[in-house]
Amino acid sequence: MATDAEALALRTDTRRRWVLTLPAVTIISLFSILPLGVVVVYSFLTPGDYGNVKWVFSLDGWFQVLFERDIFDDTVTLSDAHLTILGRSVALSMATTIITLILGVPTAWFIATRPARQRAFWLFLITIPFWTNLLVRTIAVQEMIRNEGIFNRLFQWLGLIDAPIPMMFTNFAILLGMAYVFLPLMVLPVYAAMERFDFRFAEAGYDLYASRFYCLRKVVLPQVKAGIIAGSILVFVPSLGAYVTPRIMGGGKTMMLGNLIETQFGQGRNWPLGAALSLALTALVLVALVWYTRLTSQVRRND
Amino acid sequence: MLEIRNLTKSFGRGASSVTALNEVTFPIAEGELFTLLGPSGCGKTTLLRLIAGFEPPSGGHIVLDGRDIAQLPPNKRPVNTVFQNYALFPHMTVAENVGFALGAQGRPGREIAETVERMLALVQLGHLAHRKSGELSGGQQQRVALARALAPKPRILLLDEPLSALDMKLRKEMQVELKRLQQETGLTFIFVTHDQEEALTMSDRIAVMNGGRIQQIATPRQLYDQPANRFVAGFIGESNFLDASCAGGNLVLPQAASPLSIAHPDGPVTLMVRPEHVVLGLAPDAGLSVPARVERLVYFGTDTHVHLVLADGARLVARVQNALRGGAPCAEGDAISITLPTDALRLLPKEAA
Repeated sequence: MATDAEALALRTDTRRRWVLTLPAVTIISLFSILPLGVVVVYSFLTPGDYGNVKWVFSLDGWFQVLFERDIFDDTVTLSDAHLTILGRSVALSMATTIITLILGVPTAWFIATRPARQRAFWLFLITIPFWTNLLVRTIAVQEMIRNEGIFNRLFQWLGLIDAPIPMMFTNFAILLGMAYVFLPLMVLPVYAAMERFDFRFAEAGYDLYASRFYCLRKVVLPQVKAGIIAGSILVFVPSLGAYVTPRIMGGGKTMMLGNLIETQFGQGRNWPLGAALSLALTALVLVALVWYTRLTSQVRRND
Repeated sequence: MLEIRNLTKSFGRGASSVTALNEVTFPIAEGELFTLLGPSGCGKTTLLRLIAGFEPPSGGHIVLDGRDIAQLPPNKRPVNTVFQNYALFPHMTVAENVGFALGAQGRPGREIAETVERMLALVQLGHLAHRKSGELSGGQQQRVALARALAPKPRILLLDEPLSALDMKLRKEMQVELKRLQQETGLTFIFVTHDQEEALTMSDRIAVMNGGRIQQIATPRQLYDQPANRFVAGFIGESNFLDASCAGGNLVLPQAASPLSIAHPDGPVTLMVRPEHVVLGLAPDAGLSVPARVERLVYFGTDTHVHLVLADGARLVARVQNALRGGAPCAEGDAISITLPTDALRLLPKEAA
């Protein structure tokens, strides 16, 4: 009898859990799985003449992600343009991550070592850029480096250069813009890890004959590693898909993946290719995330 | 071996500055277990942090083997600390923790491995070498912290309330263990605690601190039997204090039947007597006889505390061992005479209230 009652209770319990998760499941289905499904389906269709898609199955979209077929002799070659953009996206995203690491880790360290009352103020300063539209912030960076911008004017006025150095619409411009935009995403998780760091550990290392550098390497870094990895992922992943910053800082020529995808849905009128490119980007991000999970699970095992 | 000279430490600046340590001077001998004892905020931890090098002194010198180390950073001082929370590195194994200092000094791997093994054997934890520090019990962490601090062979080991996080039973065990380690290694230990029992049972000498100043430095026995002032008498053990005065070679206690002849400069004094020395009943010629009323008897197992009220309302506690006399020879409300034996009386300088 008891087991029957238990089984009944278990069934009721299971049913209640299903009902309770229903809203979440609905929202995830409607706003995440369904749109992603649309993208997957579109990537296997034929482009329409004026955008949109024709409901004819085709692998061309996926084929064009990496290859191109010569229109005259049908020879298949690797798509140089796409590979360049892909390579640039990965390289610039990595460079952005490294720059934000170099700037962000000492910044986070600085904030984490302030007295508790001052930290809120410094964090507040870090979050101020979030209040402003991304577009406006990016244009502000543009204003600094364009030919008639602050830097070029200043250098000319100082007599360091005769003619303005063209900096806009280069990889450098994109890098500068992205590093600026994504820096807070690095500082915040690294700060969170460092704030939890007990500085008595550093004191203990210092007491045990460690130099400052040895202490940093052997005691501090291993304990804030999770925050540094989280920050790197938070910067790297949106960098890969960045659209606004490369659009403004790189102009039409120096494109990143996000811009290439946008082009396919605009002038390119090749929605299946755009969809396939989007999914390729998603796959790239997934790889980065799997790598991240493995790294952090290692960190946790080490704890 | 170690000499603290006029050491001063103030925190903050100007009017709001706090002096945590005020002109402290004393020597510590080689191989001594020296304890800094006092209530929280008395400056004992500040003094320890100054010796370790975590804080720069505001003034004074710390002379180790004839060399002033007061301005050296912690990693340049042959002094290691066992921290209150142990501060074992959570991302390292027990062996890595113990070998940390030697690694930082750039010693060869074989020497590190040998030393780690020897140190873990010393604290009887050889079997846990490859555990993470988080997987250890409090007592084990304590031993690892000791092994880690001892591994680089410091001249002095500093221990900052190392036993306060342990439960009572484990603490007693570790007290014995610490004393054993200290005797085996022959090292100088400077031990900080607020627990007077811990200090009395373990130390060779104790410095009692209060308000950033040393109140008295003495052996445990001297501290208990001959406290230098009212603070020390009250902090170490229990004490009864009575206002009295000395005049013409006599000690005059207003509540006593007659004065007692005693050699002491004239003037007001504080008369101190330990509860276990108070004799219930008359003992002619043995000391001061005082009439008292028994207010309350409190049974404590091994002994009974007799709370007494004197004629002018002053209070006194006497402690009677239950085994010796079959409990207190009086009942609550009784009017009795008590005797304060001459050899148990301590005259302390009267302090402004």
